[in-house]
Amino acid sequence: MRTLMYVFLLLLCGGGALMADSGDKGVFPYPYSVSTLDNGLTIITIPTSSGGLMSYYSIVRTGARDEYEKGKTGFAHFFEHMMFRGTKNYPASMYDRMVTEMGADANAYTTDDYTAYHMSFAAEDLETVVMLESDRFQYLAYEEAAFQTEAGAVYGEYRKNRSNPWSVLFEDLMKTAFTRHTYGHTTIGFEADIKAMPGLYEYSKEFFSRYYRPENVVLVLTGDFDSEKALSLIESHYGSWKPGYQPPAIEAEPEQTAERSVQVDYDGKTLPLLVVAYKAPALDASNRTMVAGSMLDDLMFGETSAIYKKLVLQQQKVQFISAGFGFNRDPQLWSVYAMVKDAADIAYVREEIDRTVAQYRSTPVEEKHLTALKKRLKYSFLMNLDTPDKVAGGLARYVAITGGIEVVDALYAMYEQVTPSDIMAAVEQYLNPERRTIVTLQGRK
Amino acid sequence: MRTFRYTCITATLLGMIMAACSSPSANDAVLLPVKDDPTISFSLWFKVGSQCDPEGKEGLAAMTAAMLTRGGTVGKSYEDILDALYPLYAEYGSSCDKEMTVISGRVHRDNLEVYYPLLTDALLHPGFREEDFSRIKSESLNMLEKTLRYSSDEELGKAVFYNAVYDGTNYGHLNLGTVSSLNSITLDDIRAFYEKWYTRGNIVIGIAGGYDSELPARLRKDLEALPEGAPVLPEAPQPGDISGLRFTMVEKECNATAISFGFPIDVLRGDDDFWALALFNSWFGEHRNSSSHLYQVIREARGMNYGDYSYIEIFPNGGRRSMPAPNNARRQQLFEVWLRPVQHEYRHFALRAAVRELQMVIENGMTQEQFELTQQFLNKYALHYATTTSERLGYAIDAAFYGLDGDYTELFRSKIEALTLQQVNDAIHRHLQHENMQVGIVTMDAQSFADDLLRDAPSPVTYSTPKPDEVLEEDKAIAAYPLKVEDGNIRIVPVDKIFN
Repeated sequence: MRTLMYVFLLLLCGGGALMADSGDKGVFPYPYSVSTLDNGLTIITIPTSSGGLMSYYSIVRTGARDEYEKGKTGFAHFFEHMMFRGTKNYPASMYDRMVTEMGADANAYTTDDYTAYHMSFAAEDLETVVMLESDRFQYLAYEEAAFQTEAGAVYGEYRKNRSNPWSVLFEDLMKTAFTRHTYGHTTIGFEADIKAMPGLYEYSKEFFSRYYRPENVVLVLTGDFDSEKALSLIESHYGSWKPGYQPPAIEAEPEQTAERSVQVDYDGKTLPLLVVAYKAPALDASNRTMVAGSMLDDLMFGETSAIYKKLVLQQQKVQFISAGFGFNRDPQLWSVYAMVKDAADIAYVREEIDRTVAQYRSTPVEEKHLTALKKRLKYSFLMNLDTPDKVAGGLARYVAITGGIEVVDALYAMYEQVTPSDIMAAVEQYLNPERRTIVTLQGRK
Repeated sequence: MRTFRYTCITATLLGMIMAACSSPSANDAVLLPVKDDPTISFSLWFKVGSQCDPEGKEGLAAMTAAMLTRGGTVGKSYEDILDALYPLYAEYGSSCDKEMTVISGRVHRDNLEVYYPLLTDALLHPGFREEDFSRIKSESLNMLEKTLRYSSDEELGKAVFYNAVYDGTNYGHLNLGTVSSLNSITLDDIRAFYEKWYTRGNIVIGIAGGYDSELPARLRKDLEALPEGAPVLPEAPQPGDISGLRFTMVEKECNATAISFGFPIDVLRGDDDFWALALFNSWFGEHRNSSSHLYQVIREARGMNYGDYSYIEIFPNGGRRSMPAPNNARRQQLFEVWLRPVQHEYRHFALRAAVRELQMVIENGMTQEQFELTQQFLNKYALHYATTTSERLGYAIDAAFYGLDGDYTELFRSKIEALTLQQVNDAIHRHLQHENMQVGIVTMDAQSFADDLLRDAPSPVTYSTPKPDEVLEEDKAIAAYPLKVEDGNIRIVPVDKIFN
């Protein structure tokens, strides 16, 4: 086992609290260690003072992105459900009972890039948690009948989501923006594939065998625990886990060369929805233009932006406008969303988005505004680290994309270096009409 | 009639560092100092809520609170406020339920001196500007007319159910109001409501986190600028008796049926039977938890939907939250079962299955094994209810509402620990029943469902996947389970006619 220690000083806030400031050593405030077992399993331990509670995340670096085979969309999410169906050692009823006895808050979620299994519990139960989690990740076993029953629950989840117009819009957005890459489907998957899931029992075992391997999993432990003891437990319980990860054969998305647009009808009433989504780069904290681009959402479309003030506060033509320029493992989308009050104004709102982009392309952002954003980013990170679960959960996407958390400090350090010129360069590089997909959704009634 | 006292809370933060309560007064402040927490949380509780909405002006309390926190002040436009808050990553907002309005916010202590004047200015010198008013009103109307009616059948089903339970009382309307009442509210109404209810005698201040010991006195002094007065709250609602199963069905095109049912209960947080019912409820339907018995019966064994839960207190935003949100304390509560959407062909069966399970536990009680496992579960699970400082402050405010001393989580755990199976089963007998309930439904072809219910028609189900024999055997009993719905007890409402 290899272990690297990262120890930062706790300067600003005196240390001891669950939140602190790392001073000039980086934004991430806690000492942590990264260990790798011989089989490739990575463990990140972040001890924090948290009143006897701790959080245990098992991050599988497989998500909807890895569903590259036809007819298998939504499978990563479905499989997440199956991970609660027990093993020979601990059948589902016994697993449930043991989790219940611990009073643990246990759940899981699936995203485009990863699947996270998380549990918050009293630190005294760590050994039981390591035992249970290592067991199901190595020896998952379920009957075909249970598999088929769970498919019904997943279809129920799909139906639940379907009454929300945003779910409908996202499905069409991804389908239109991506012609080859697996980002072309949403995490829940296409309805036809969900309906066909009960027949994929054998495939589910193949899926487990391909992706649920130690080299593809990172454990993140936060809260009140002793790192050395935890690592020793983990090594003894996960050490025999056999490697064998098979990377998915994901097609690269060809460069988009022309604007795409689609109009969606929604079977219900809603204010019209508009999304303008640009092809985005994958996360690369060493690339200043990429990092500058990720700041554009708040800068150009946040609550203090000119377009927000004009459309939301002054003219009141939209219920809201916002943008999400997030991070992904492969190039995905940076999207601007608006809920427009009157369908007659959809074109106007689009023009205003274009005007905003044009202005940022031609005019440097005010230094004052950029400085305020940098300060905001720092405090948003620090203020969201107030429980063990939030610490681990907040790191999950970074872990999934890069395999570690060093990227956090690199990213925040790069934010500090971004200049108004970098902002202009990012707009120039990424926010071009030929790179975008525009979707409008309107209710039918 | 209940007497409510507001007490100073000293919390233990799960055994962590907690200083003694340093309130300048014992009855107008809830203080949770956490020395090493670099953030400061504020919760300013005004004893006013949607129960205080004048007739025809439903939604006024919520809109007034929104005008304070999402509008400008006398000296600053809302744009100016957003600009000032932006670099701090801080904000303040409001929540308005039946009995409580809480203005809350959180800031890193580095930024307190920028933040604090903005927060107090919002409370003391609201601008009540026309442009903010038209924006907030438009958003509220859209929320009612579009989002609630057409974008979340689960929330719609619950809203219909709540309104039916409290019909005829001042809990009997959405906090948001109705379409006509929102349209009738004027800026003058909001000014008058603010002047009546946002008074010095009607506020309890809550502060938590790493604040300076002088902050409570400073805030208290600054809030003395509020007008004097302590308005009298309306009497607690007395919901009418429910006779039989009474349905409100919302007819709309949808791909699944949402179901909520239940009835009012006369048990509040702190009552002796509350703890017993809390243990029962955790076993029967712990929110978003696979340990829930209903979840096991309907989702786990039969795969009919995404989850099935029950409640003995109001639980807003259940679709988004996994733990109960604070600051919805009430003088009247309800027992509720929530079945997440099921395919239409399962709607009758799923309803029967849930009511049957309720009847069985009322008649048979919990077993010793179920009791002990749930007791053990809650002892630790309760630690997750409030894990952040601001959540703990919210719970402490609620504890003050109910007149409870000490840290609520610790109190909850000690009460659960002290329970016996007999106490739990006695409480189930005293407070729960299955024959007289309101049922809120969102479905398609409601008339057909109504006809089936009135005939008590058998509702056998088939599955696309194999099921164990014991499940299929039990299905026969569920499919024939009599709900005994009487003529006249089903009301069908087209979706565009509700909340008008």
